[in-house]
Amino acid sequence: MSGVKLESIVKAYGAVQVVHGIDLEVKEKEFVVLVGPSGCGKSTTLRMVAGLEEISDGTLTIDGKVVNRIAPKDRDVAMVFQNYALYPHLDVAENIAFGLRIRKESKENIEKAIKDVAGILGLENYLERRPADLSGGQRQRVAMGRAIVRRPKVFLFDEPLSNLDAKLRTQMRAEIKRLHQRLGVTSIYVTHDQVEAMTLADRIVVMNDGRIEQVGSPMELFLNPVNAFVAGFLGAPPMNQIQAVISGGDAAPIAEFAGQQFTLPPLPGLQNAVGRKVIVGIRPEYATPQTKAVEGSVSCTLELVETLGSEALLHTTIGGEPFVIRTETLGNMDQLNAVNGFTADPALVKVFDAETGVALSGQLRVA
Amino acid sequence: MSDAVTPKPAVTPYVNKRPVSQRIVDHLKREWQIYLMLAPTVIWLLLFLYKPMYGLQIAFKDYSIFRGVAASPWIGFEHFETLFASEQFLRALKNTIYISMMSLIIGFPVPILLALMFNEILNQTFKKTAQTIVYLPHFISSVIIAGIVITAFSPSAGIVNTILSWLDVDPIYFLTKPEWFRPIFIGTTIWQEAGFQSIVFIAAISGVSPTLYESAVVDGASRWQMMWKITVPSIMPTIIIMLIIRIGNMLEVSFEMIILLYQPATYETADVVNTFIYRQGLQSGQYDFAAAAGLFNAVIAFVLVMTANSISKRYSRTSLW
Repeated sequence: MSGVKLESIVKAYGAVQVVHGIDLEVKEKEFVVLVGPSGCGKSTTLRMVAGLEEISDGTLTIDGKVVNRIAPKDRDVAMVFQNYALYPHLDVAENIAFGLRIRKESKENIEKAIKDVAGILGLENYLERRPADLSGGQRQRVAMGRAIVRRPKVFLFDEPLSNLDAKLRTQMRAEIKRLHQRLGVTSIYVTHDQVEAMTLADRIVVMNDGRIEQVGSPMELFLNPVNAFVAGFLGAPPMNQIQAVISGGDAAPIAEFAGQQFTLPPLPGLQNAVGRKVIVGIRPEYATPQTKAVEGSVSCTLELVETLGSEALLHTTIGGEPFVIRTETLGNMDQLNAVNGFTADPALVKVFDAETGVALSGQLRVA
Repeated sequence: MSDAVTPKPAVTPYVNKRPVSQRIVDHLKREWQIYLMLAPTVIWLLLFLYKPMYGLQIAFKDYSIFRGVAASPWIGFEHFETLFASEQFLRALKNTIYISMMSLIIGFPVPILLALMFNEILNQTFKKTAQTIVYLPHFISSVIIAGIVITAFSPSAGIVNTILSWLDVDPIYFLTKPEWFRPIFIGTTIWQEAGFQSIVFIAAISGVSPTLYESAVVDGASRWQMMWKITVPSIMPTIIIMLIIRIGNMLEVSFEMIILLYQPATYETADVVNTFIYRQGLQSGQYDFAAAAGLFNAVIAFVLVMTANSISKRYSRTSLW
C-alpha cells in the first residue's frame, strides 16, 4: 500500500502557523490535487511530504511507515518542480540519470532506464541536448523523466505547468494524465489552477488559509461545495454569488435581492431560515438567458458579451452586483445582445450562510 | 457577397529622413545623464591607457628626453635584440612565468574553495565573522602587508623563527634566501587577495537555483555530492571568465609586493619583468629599453588572453566576448 496519510499535520515558522492540523489520506494509485489560492499552504504541505520542510506537529505516513524523521531520499518519493529544476550543465540523458547515478545504480541499469523513460516521454531525439536547447514543454517532460526514472512510490508535482503557455499547458495536462494512467503511481499534485485540478484529479483537496476546506471528486466539489469559498474557487467562470435575504413562501422559501425575488428549493435548512442573510450561488452555466420577462425570471442589465466561439459569456449586473451567464451562441448574436434577464432551476442553486459561508441547501446527486 | 480579393496596400518602409548628426544630437539630449555617468571612466581610459600608447613608439627609437618622442631617431628592433640578449631580462621573464604559473595553480583555486566552504557554513554569525576575517587583508595597504610579512619572518623577533626555535631549528633569514622568496610571496598574495576574490564566486553560488539542491536532496544526494555535482558545475562559467581574466593578467605579477619584499640577494628568484622595467626605466633612465620590455609584456598578455578565450569558447561555451 503506497498511500500517503497526513494526520493533524502542522507547519509553523516560529510563532506563525501556516498549516493548521491537516488530515488527509491519499490512497494507493490515487491522483490527488491540492488546490487553493496563493499562500494557502498547499506547496508547504507538499514539501512536508517530500521532506523538504520539517513537520512541526502531526504524523506523516508513506506506505504504512511514519516518515516524519526520515530523510527525503529514504521516503521513496520523486518531485517535479515548477521551474523544472534541471541541471543546466548536464544533457537530457544525464539529467534523467542523475538520481540513479547518485544511488550508484549499475551502468547497464541506468542506460536501460534512460532508454525506457525517453521512450515513454518521447525524448529519444533530445537525449544529447542541454536544457537551454529545449522548449518549455520538452523541459517539463525531462523533469517528469527525472521523477519517473527512479520508479518511486509517490510522485509529487509542485505546480509543474505554471511556466508553460496556455496551449502547451493543456497538452502537458493530458500527458500527465496519460502517464498516471500508464504508471499508476500515487500522485499528489499542487496547483492554483482549478482547471488543472478538475481535469487531472481523482480527488481534489481545496485549501484555504492553511486548512482543508473540502475533499472530494471534481464533480462532488463542483456540484456540492460545502461553503462559498469552494463554490467560488471551482468553476470557470466561478459561481455567481448574490447577497440576499430569505423570506417565507407558500411552497418554498424565497430569496430577495435588489428588489427581486427568486424561488429557492423547498429544503428544511432554508425554510427555517426566514429573515436570514444568505448568499445565493448560481453557476454561470446553470443560468438561462432571457430576452423578456417570464415566470420566475430575474432581470439583469447586460454590460458586455464575450464570445468564445461556440459559447459566450454575458457579463451582467443585478442591482450593481456582477452576474455572469454562460450560454451557447448558436451564431445568434442579436439575441444575446438583447438579454435582460435569466431563469435558473432552483434545484441547481446553492445557498450559503452570509456570515459563515457554510452551505445551507441540500446536496445535488453526482452522476 | 463579392468574391473579389481586396489588394493589400503596398507597404512603404519607414525611412528616417533626419540627418545622422541631428539624430546623434537628439539622442545625446535625451540620454545625457547616462553619458555623464560614463564620462569619468572614458576620460580615465583615454588619459591613462590610450594617450600613453603614443609613447610606445620609443620602444623602436633611440629616445632622448631632450629631443622628445617625435624627434628621436628610429632604430627598429634594436632594443628588443638587446632585451633578448640580456641575461637579467631572461631571468626576469623566467621568474615572471614561474611565479605566475605557481600563483595561478595554487592561488586560483583558493578563492573558489573558500567560497564553497562559506556556502556550507550554516551558522550565519560564524559565516559573517569568517568572511570579514578573510576579506580584511585586501583592504590593508600592500606596504603594511609587506611590513607584517617582514616582521613575521624576521630572524630575530619574527613569529615564524620563534616557533622554529621551539623546535630547536636555527633561525632562517627567509627574505634573503632566494629559495624562500617565491613561497613567501605566493603565500602572501593568496592571504591578501583570496578572501576578496572569493566574493565573485560567492555571488555566483548565490545565483544557483535552490530548487536544484532540493531536487538533488529528493534524489538522495549528499552535501558533498551536491557541492561537486551542482555547485561547482553551476559556477563553472564564472570560474572560466575569472580564469581568462587571470591569464590575461598573468605577467602582471603583484609588482608592488615584489618591490617591497625583494632585495638584491633574492633577485635570482624574485626579479620579474615589471621590476626589471622599473629598474631599467625609472632607476637607470633607459626609457626606450624599458618601453620595449613593457611592450613585449603586453603583447604576450594579449596573446594569452586571446588564446584562453578561444579555447574556452570552443570547449565550454563560455567566453569574455
